[in-house]
Amino acid sequence: MKERFPRLAILLALIVVCIVALAGCGQNSAPPTAPTPATTNLTKKPKVALVMKSLANAFFQTMEQGAKAHQAAHSGDYELIANGIENEQDVPKQVDLVKQMIAQKVDAIVLAPADSKALVPVCKEAQDAGIVVVNIDNKLDADALKEKQLSIPFVGPDNRKGAKMVGDFLAKSLKAGDEVAIIGGIPGAFNAQQRQLGFEDAMKAANAKIMTEQAADWDTSKASSIVSAILPRYPQLKAILCANDSMALGAVGALTGANKAKQVLVAGFDNIAAVQQLIKEGKVLCTADQHGDQIAVNGIEFAIDILHKKATPQDKELPVDLITAQTLASAKTP
Amino acid sequence: MSVRSAVAEYAGLFGVLVLLVVFFSFKAPNFASSATFLAVANQIPSQVLVAIGVTFVLIVAEIDLSVGSILGLSGAVLGVLFLQKHLPMPIAICACIGVGILCGLFNGLVTTLFGLPSFIVTLGALEIARGGTYWVSQSQTQYIGSPIEGIAATSWFGLSLPFIVALVLVGCGQILLSKTVFGRRVIAVGSNPEAARYSGIDPGRIKRAVFLMAGVLASFAALVDTSRFQSADPNAGIGLELQAIAAVVIGGTSLMGGRGSVVSSFVGVLIIAVLGAGLAAMGAADEVKRVVTGCVIVVAVILDRYRHRLKARTA
Repeated sequence: MKERFPRLAILLALIVVCIVALAGCGQNSAPPTAPTPATTNLTKKPKVALVMKSLANAFFQTMEQGAKAHQAAHSGDYELIANGIENEQDVPKQVDLVKQMIAQKVDAIVLAPADSKALVPVCKEAQDAGIVVVNIDNKLDADALKEKQLSIPFVGPDNRKGAKMVGDFLAKSLKAGDEVAIIGGIPGAFNAQQRQLGFEDAMKAANAKIMTEQAADWDTSKASSIVSAILPRYPQLKAILCANDSMALGAVGALTGANKAKQVLVAGFDNIAAVQQLIKEGKVLCTADQHGDQIAVNGIEFAIDILHKKATPQDKELPVDLITAQTLASAKTP
Repeated sequence: MSVRSAVAEYAGLFGVLVLLVVFFSFKAPNFASSATFLAVANQIPSQVLVAIGVTFVLIVAEIDLSVGSILGLSGAVLGVLFLQKHLPMPIAICACIGVGILCGLFNGLVTTLFGLPSFIVTLGALEIARGGTYWVSQSQTQYIGSPIEGIAATSWFGLSLPFIVALVLVGCGQILLSKTVFGRRVIAVGSNPEAARYSGIDPGRIKRAVFLMAGVLASFAALVDTSRFQSADPNAGIGLELQAIAAVVIGGTSLMGGRGSVVSSFVGVLIIAVLGAGLAAMGAADEVKRVVTGCVIVVAVILDRYRHRLKARTA
């Protein structure tokens, strides 16, 4: 039959792609080895599990690369199992991931929770199993932790403070009474809410008028549609504050399309490479850098520290830096 | 098609569209302005291109869930080849379209040669292409800047080149569907593949051609979006397949195949875009936007069904 050859070829191609893809990622994930006692025996290398949010997000990709580079430099000190979920909102999958890590009897779990409340029960499970848990990036809900009588150290940036800093810098180019708009991330996400609050803090301090606050779910194209729609409604708009850089890209696209790129200032958050370029071109005013590559590394170092000292340290706040055309020009090598 | 039947065909949909525009003009100051309509027009080309492809796929009674991921992958390949491999822009653009061709071939060949449901094949392709996107781009947005700006920045009377190309392709698509042998075959395969086979049509070939078209149009859409944002976002096009299917079904194309119109799909895209623009101009909360969009989708389809019954009765 003449169709047999293409069928076979397609089948083989699919299998080969699978094998090649799997072969590429095998080195870093440690195989589930024989169970070690939960009370850590530090004569052996501790196993640290890093559980992140979506690797679809460049921020977590950077975070993972930072962690892997750190592990490669300290390969004698610990083993790393890095995992992320496919979709940022897939909370159940992240809970399952933590459970798998508990089953694998890792010594420490460094977690960037996809939801600040829903991950608390599984963190308790981990602690009960004698695993050190360190919370990074997105802070677990204080009330939920109290209810479970848990104490989990947090290592990460203060998004609200960072957003306030971005807003304050933008405010220098605004007058009292100027009209601004805020484009937010996914409404339920903690960091989205924090950034929005930070922007509001800064705009209130500057006496700017927030005309509208709308969610564009971190998405370039959604942000562009919303900005296109609000421009005719608020012709006097002076600035758009975007809760992440992808949305800032969308805002710039919409402004360029409406020939308003010169009149309206755009601020972002995250300092992705694409936006650095736009800052240099003067299309985006500023953004904030949370040093994603260092967040997981700090969490891992924290966890190893706890394993050695057997004591729970205080939370540690990581710096957020303001990025402007000036900082980019002065720091040729970031 | 006579003028009268054309009016009957599109009156319902345009009615919904006009209603929306009138409603938002009252609700949101400055909504009824040329700026708003130009903004809507220049934001929809990529969705229109994808919707044309999806219309044909639905008419042959198949489905394509991978178009959003194909858009993502095509854009990422374009960005990476130009920025990191330093290839000239025309070659990067060809590669971008090439990705669409390959993905479309994959969907068509696997679906027809193995006789599988396209739902599951294209769901697999959705995952493969999205994974490929993250892999080639390292999940990083590729910022291209002015070298690609020209496509979306070229405009006449405020209407961008992509919008005009999209309009022309809607026209070509409609002619292809209703005036050519190929179009007749597409409808025949969609309504009754057995009957089509007995009349000498190879349903597999028609389906492969249609999936190929959907893939290529998705990569055109990627080119348009990459130019509009001067950058390729690895998450571009997530959820686009469902938006496109919604627009196409609002336009009266049947999910069961055999019936559909490219022009109506275009109006379907317009309805969703005007709705989004209006709600944003009103400053509606996110939860309200989602509920209202969902309701309008369902209501538009119900109205369309009612109109068809009415037409059948009077005929």
